[in-house]
Amino acid sequence: MGLKGLKTKDKHIKNLAKIVGDRSILHHKEDLLAYDCDGFTIHKYLPKAVVFPKDTLEVSRLVSYCSDNRLPFLARGAGTGLSGGAIPVNGEVVISLVKMKKLLSVDYENKRAVVEPGFVNLKLTNSISDKGYYYAPDPSSQYCCTIGGNVAENAGGAHCLKYGVTTNHILGLEVVLPNGEIIEIGNNGIPDSPGYDLLGLITGSEGTLGIVTKITVRILKNPEAKQTVLAYFDDVSDGSHAVSDIISAGIVPAALEMMDKTAIEGVESAAFPVGHPRDIKALLLIEVDGIAAGIDEQISQILDVCKNRNVREVKVAQDEAERARWWANRKTGFGAMGAISPDYLVQDGVIPRSRLPEVLNRINQISEESGLRIANIFHAGDGNLHPLVLFDARIPGQTELALSAGSACLQACADVGGTITGEHGVGIEKREEMRFVFTDEEIQAQTDIREVFNPENLLNAGKLFPSPGRCAEVKKERKEAAL
Amino acid sequence: MGTRESDVKEHQACTTISLSNYHWSDPPDENKWADCVHCGMCLESCPTYELTGQEQHSPRGRVHLIKSVAEGKIEVNEQFMDPVFACLDCRACTTACPADVDVGGLIEEARGQIRQAIPLTGYRKTVSNFFLHRLFPHQNRLNTVGGLLKFYQKSGMQKVVRKTGLLKIMPDHLAEMEGIMPELTQPVRKKYKNQNVIKAKGKTKHEVALLTGCVMDVMFSDINEATINVLTRNGNDVVIPQNQTCCGALHVHAGDREMGRKLAKQNIEAFNDAKKIIVNAAGCGCMMKEYAELFREEPEWHEKALSFSAKVEDVSKYLHDTGYEQPQAEIKTRITYHDACHLAHGQGVRQEPRNILLDIPGVEMVHMPNADRCCGSAGIYNITNPEMAGAVLESKMENVPDDVEMISMGNPGCMLQMAMGVQKYGRNQKIVHTVQLLDWAYKKEDGLRGQE
Repeated sequence: MGLKGLKTKDKHIKNLAKIVGDRSILHHKEDLLAYDCDGFTIHKYLPKAVVFPKDTLEVSRLVSYCSDNRLPFLARGAGTGLSGGAIPVNGEVVISLVKMKKLLSVDYENKRAVVEPGFVNLKLTNSISDKGYYYAPDPSSQYCCTIGGNVAENAGGAHCLKYGVTTNHILGLEVVLPNGEIIEIGNNGIPDSPGYDLLGLITGSEGTLGIVTKITVRILKNPEAKQTVLAYFDDVSDGSHAVSDIISAGIVPAALEMMDKTAIEGVESAAFPVGHPRDIKALLLIEVDGIAAGIDEQISQILDVCKNRNVREVKVAQDEAERARWWANRKTGFGAMGAISPDYLVQDGVIPRSRLPEVLNRINQISEESGLRIANIFHAGDGNLHPLVLFDARIPGQTELALSAGSACLQACADVGGTITGEHGVGIEKREEMRFVFTDEEIQAQTDIREVFNPENLLNAGKLFPSPGRCAEVKKERKEAAL
Repeated sequence: MGTRESDVKEHQACTTISLSNYHWSDPPDENKWADCVHCGMCLESCPTYELTGQEQHSPRGRVHLIKSVAEGKIEVNEQFMDPVFACLDCRACTTACPADVDVGGLIEEARGQIRQAIPLTGYRKTVSNFFLHRLFPHQNRLNTVGGLLKFYQKSGMQKVVRKTGLLKIMPDHLAEMEGIMPELTQPVRKKYKNQNVIKAKGKTKHEVALLTGCVMDVMFSDINEATINVLTRNGNDVVIPQNQTCCGALHVHAGDREMGRKLAKQNIEAFNDAKKIIVNAAGCGCMMKEYAELFREEPEWHEKALSFSAKVEDVSKYLHDTGYEQPQAEIKTRITYHDACHLAHGQGVRQEPRNILLDIPGVEMVHMPNADRCCGSAGIYNITNPEMAGAVLESKMENVPDDVEMISMGNPGCMLQMAMGVQKYGRNQKIVHTVQLLDWAYKKEDGLRGQE
């Protein structure tokens, strides 16, 4: 367990160890390898060291030390991000926040809770469910991802269609700035403070503006009633149209998920199968919740919509156990791809709902052109697509092929007026694709904001924006050189 | 004649293999790690990740490191050994994994490589040799309990053994049961040495063979006796093949795959005539269901192992599936159930033992939160990694409900570890095996009938 003595000559390692203690730092190559990537595995880089602070003060001291000594650094939670936001591309000192994993307080009266960044998403709901409360944002990785990471990525989830993504649930943050200063933002749950919306800026900044060390979140009362429907379609566009029809009917489902044939093959071959027919082209998983009175009517409307769209079979979950099985099958969908493919690359485009059929067609074309299978598991209700490009990194050339197929999927989303990420973040994966949706000037405007917080760019550099070699930053440098 | 370019291409696979830093036969299986997409769903299931927060001590981290050795990125050295041997091999990650990655199998294969690259020295070598080579494979030595008890006294575990019922010291409020508790019995293999078949009571429905186990038969022969009673009562003729041996699980967990293979072969032959092989120790059952893993490079034995494994069944699942008589006598007690890792995660047996307990009149079951979390026993892990094992045990004991009188489970390693927990944290629960409780209920029923 941990290290037996430090055994190093590196003065930075020794000094960092003085801050956190010998047992809370990793620096041997064998240990560091476990930190060379996160949930995005295509690019791998070794960190300089991994440190495990136990409180905000230690984070601040670590950050100050890195800043003073010009050591690049970044924050990491459970490392389940899908765009490479926690990958140490510059050989960073990784500040792992997993030991800061306490639930600090719950205030039921004002419906808020305070957590440390390493607290696991699902544990919050589990800790307050006996009082009838829950935390709404539910990324599929909620079994293991941390709320700190959710803030960095502005994580979404199946139930964000009705309840909003992470940013809609953040009421206050304690942040260690890249110079080591500790600040608090947000007014502890009093909505709409005057001045700029700094909470909104930090949430989703992908760890480039500061390190979040304490989070005040909104908690919600459990809905009085909940019903879940599963619908099987023989035709993808029937399924897609059903999605639009449900929303047009004025229903706001808590969740409206879709899986295509390849995705179904994956989840049914993996650890949590539920017996979906293998020959259907699409399935919808629809959940409605709220006060008990209107639920049955909404369900019968949904059943009607599905029938009008030639559904093969549609059923309502008979009990909580069945509902839980359906969701476990859906939520482990990405990992399940391991059962049918050695590697996968997941994309995260967002499109207007009405364009679903044509974009799914285009993705199908991309699959045929590249010769790589593409599975689709996604939040259909909010038009958030997740094409999973299946490949085998051991076959030379397939990784590059997968990357370009993934990029083409995002281009397809941008082409219909959509965007390149809904909830997974840009990270290192989609830096270049930022150009599909932003001009050089728009990117420049954003890096200017980063400079206010992170002027030395030591914190998580090389993420979120295209590399300067090809963007406005270069023009700026040239301009400055000319002056 | 020079080498043609097209020929070189065909040999690309060989070039890749030569990068690997696994230098012995039977290396970790590439197809096992190819299933892992590094999603992280395993993290929270892992007791060592929970305690350390360090990813090299997590399932996906370990898989990543095992793969890295094969890719030539790191060597098989002490730094690699640490995370691989700190794994409890509890298989909780296998349950959590969406892609069914066989982390346990990879860990055991990696340990095989490590043990050959870095032979044990000093204290660990002594302990390991004592248990794995000089004790477990030799039933006659095991039967010489003296040496074993001496070890237990030295390590402060004597009281633990008492708690488990070997010396029959019970809390007062359970004194009622004393009359139906089995006497300290001799090992069943010895006892039934001259009996080819222990006949079913009443009509014979099935014939089964029983693995008596190495530790089980010496320390817990009363559980073996209870198993035989329960099986015969429910229409099973029981055979105890005399040339059976230790299942080899402890050896395979420790990386001694050669000894594991030797023991496996002996058992495969010993149980050749059996139609069903009943096991009452989860760790043994899980190992015996995975014998084929040991023979990836011996096709003939691989085949034999597969058909052997298909016959292996845990006693609780067997009783549950083939039917058993519901006991009529009442055993009034509050009880909780602990899922042995190699029963729940290793064999998928969760509900069957609970159902058996619930079928006993008077038994009130109290749910243990995180019941399928490892207790830290993990074979001889509690001896080789005492610090981590102690921490795992502490969090296990926090989950044992306050007001229960007994903790039931289906594995002898867990029984010792949990008994130690009860002792260490000043609790007063009695540790019982699931079939023991069923046997007591039957005995009480017979006793009452006798009185009438």
